[in-house]
Amino acid sequence: MQEVRRKFVIPGDIVVEGNSRPLVNVHKSGNNIIASRIGIAEVGRDGAKVIPLSGVYIPRANDIVIGIIKDHSSLSWDVDINSCFSAHLPAQDLFGRDFSPARDDMSRELSSGDVVSARIATFDRTRDPILTVQDKDLGKIPLGELLKISATRVPRLIGKRGSMIQTIEHATSTRITIGQNGLIVVSGKNKDGTQLAIKAIRMVEEEAHTSNLTQRIKQLLGVEDNVQIDSKSRSGAPIDNDEGHDDSMLGDKKSVQSESESLSRDQ
Amino acid sequence: MTQTRSLIDENGIRTDGRTGNQLRDIQIKVGVIKNADGSALIEFGKNKIIAAVYGPREVHPKHMALTDRCLLRCRYHMSPFSTDTRKNPAPSRREVEISKVIREALQPALMLEDYPRATIDVYIEVLQADGGSRCAGIAAASVALADAGINMRDLVSACAAGKVDDKIVLDINDTEDKEGGADMPVAFMPNHKQITLLQLDGKLNSEEFIACLNEGITGCMKVYEVQRSALMQKYFGNETELKE
Amino acid sequence: MSSSRRSTIILENLRKNQIRELIASGKRLDGRSPDELRPLNIEIGVIKKANGSAWVKLGNTEVVAGVKVETGEPFEGLENKGALIVSAEVLPTAASYIEPGPPDEETIELARVVDRGVRESEMLALDKLALIPGKIVYTIFVDCSIINMGGNLFDATSYAVVLALATSKIPVFEIIDEKVVDTGKIQDPPINTIPVSVTFARIGDSLVLDPSTEEEACMDARITLTTNSNGEYTAVQKGSNGFLTIEQVKSAAETAKIKGQELRLKFQELTTTGQ
Repeated sequence: MQEVRRKFVIPGDIVVEGNSRPLVNVHKSGNNIIASRIGIAEVGRDGAKVIPLSGVYIPRANDIVIGIIKDHSSLSWDVDINSCFSAHLPAQDLFGRDFSPARDDMSRELSSGDVVSARIATFDRTRDPILTVQDKDLGKIPLGELLKISATRVPRLIGKRGSMIQTIEHATSTRITIGQNGLIVVSGKNKDGTQLAIKAIRMVEEEAHTSNLTQRIKQLLGVEDNVQIDSKSRSGAPIDNDEGHDDSMLGDKKSVQSESESLSRDQ
Repeated sequence: MTQTRSLIDENGIRTDGRTGNQLRDIQIKVGVIKNADGSALIEFGKNKIIAAVYGPREVHPKHMALTDRCLLRCRYHMSPFSTDTRKNPAPSRREVEISKVIREALQPALMLEDYPRATIDVYIEVLQADGGSRCAGIAAASVALADAGINMRDLVSACAAGKVDDKIVLDINDTEDKEGGADMPVAFMPNHKQITLLQLDGKLNSEEFIACLNEGITGCMKVYEVQRSALMQKYFGNETELKE
Repeated sequence: MSSSRRSTIILENLRKNQIRELIASGKRLDGRSPDELRPLNIEIGVIKKANGSAWVKLGNTEVVAGVKVETGEPFEGLENKGALIVSAEVLPTAASYIEPGPPDEETIELARVVDRGVRESEMLALDKLALIPGKIVYTIFVDCSIINMGGNLFDATSYAVVLALATSKIPVFEIIDEKVVDTGKIQDPPINTIPVSVTFARIGDSLVLDPSTEEEACMDARITLTTNSNGEYTAVQKGSNGFLTIEQVKSAAETAKIKGQELRLKFQELTTTGQ
């Protein structure tokens, strides 16, 4: 595997001179590849890109997101998905094909302020995103604490093969639902665990770009490095611990999450 | 503009103690407005200016949205207490014009085609005004846009040059602006070497014009260094390199 | 026309329930006790071009107030008094839902409540600020720019106005041959008292002091009380769509007096050392 070169950049900085393929968050100018965002530039065999450290969430089809119901028209709910576009969840998605606006009261299913997890069914440049909740584990989230982080930090929070988020979940006995749009719901049996999980998530958000983050998170959680973790309330399954090289912004998505083109890494 | 007194003494020192090619002190702080997507506070001489960016976000009213690219809206506004005599808070014709030229100075740097049907709103609030507030506002706004994570070709730096006592000097201050011979604000994309704002107020012959423009661009490059280190400080702190 | 509209902030129900449950048990989301203020950070004299200024950070709420002094005609009916004009603008920098443009009813209410607190307490001895009674008087503008919204604008703005005024240095104008002349000298403004406003939100059956944005989004009613240095009440404003019981008003008044005095001492320390 060819070595990947990384450096910190701001918009306008040269990522690489000469022939390289522009991937994401970069543009070509003359013979150079230039950064378009603040972040970490990477030049590898397949091209050059910038992993951004700030920015709002831009929807992509098949992303799992967490949204807040704003309002509804007679045919769909308006959902705030923490993006520059508001999403629509069609009433038929919940009521089925024989939905009738005259008979069915939409606000009984979902009302303003409710939190839902959903999948982006369709989205393109010309239309607002359409959501669906017809998948496993999707729909209204009745309990938990909602917090918002920058969507650019989501891959780091998940970690390589879910390692970061699993570490936090196991150590705090919580269940953490992550939306690609940066909204997160933490639910746990006890308050202290939930608070500790939130603290850890905030720390990942603040220090996403720094070295040895996993170690510091483990310190915060009181988990020893390279020791199997015994979860008190949940399955107690050992987490995989092959994360010696995870101190980059890169991480895999959980299985439900879509492949994000901008952030996936060739294995 | 009539000159009533000498603004540069025999040693080449200006009214505020600077030499001809010296900038006033500049400080930029990134991320000062918690609610905004991106923000910056710039102190440029006595200027104290806040820039906040919201977006890309939904357009209200909806009919203003553009189907193929992002709308860019910009407001330059002075607080009533920012000037020597109180400024009426309602937007003046001057503020309307400056809002427009600032928007046009920022637009070439932004990749608006990446966010169709959305809007980016840039709010520049002058809390204390000194000469060159539009340049300071552009510098702050471009840092705030980068902080908001909007796709950009380059930062935009800005600085004014001008003529005082028949000499070309950098970064005109308030007194020199009012009493000096010419004032030329320049905005510049440092990596792409493109000019995005150019105005002139006063009289310059063709030689002076070129000298003034060059001086302005030199100033922009100095401002750029401050913008760059402010952003680096915010995002990477004291880490300058990635340790693997 | 004032109409009841949907709140501009949609607080998700998960958070709303959490806040309500916590407050019912005497706790708050940010760990404060019901009568505890958020961290208050004040910088005096930040705007050199103003005659007086203060930058107030109350939690996440940030307000800059600046004093500008001119001369002008007195208000009708107040011919022998200087004119005091308090205005406020919520800048579009302050939150994503603020649009630039003329102030809406909430901002106008804010400016008027703050103005009333300063005026009715007779903080400034306006009768000492007339130059030619009935014709020319000092005109004192206090303009407030709200640069970030984080809840309880009333108190943050009021503190900014009071501190900007209390620490201001106003020009000495004289009348020579029936004309106003700026002597170039400066003076302290004639201050009678330091008014302090204290705001509560009612959430369920409890009152909480200094509500945050999230608490305001689920509050049932709001009350702002201003006291002067003698502990007298000089302005009150009840706001929002709900009601308050008599007991709640009494208890709010009691706390406002105690907290007001604590804050006044803090302000006096600032005004004597902060200049």
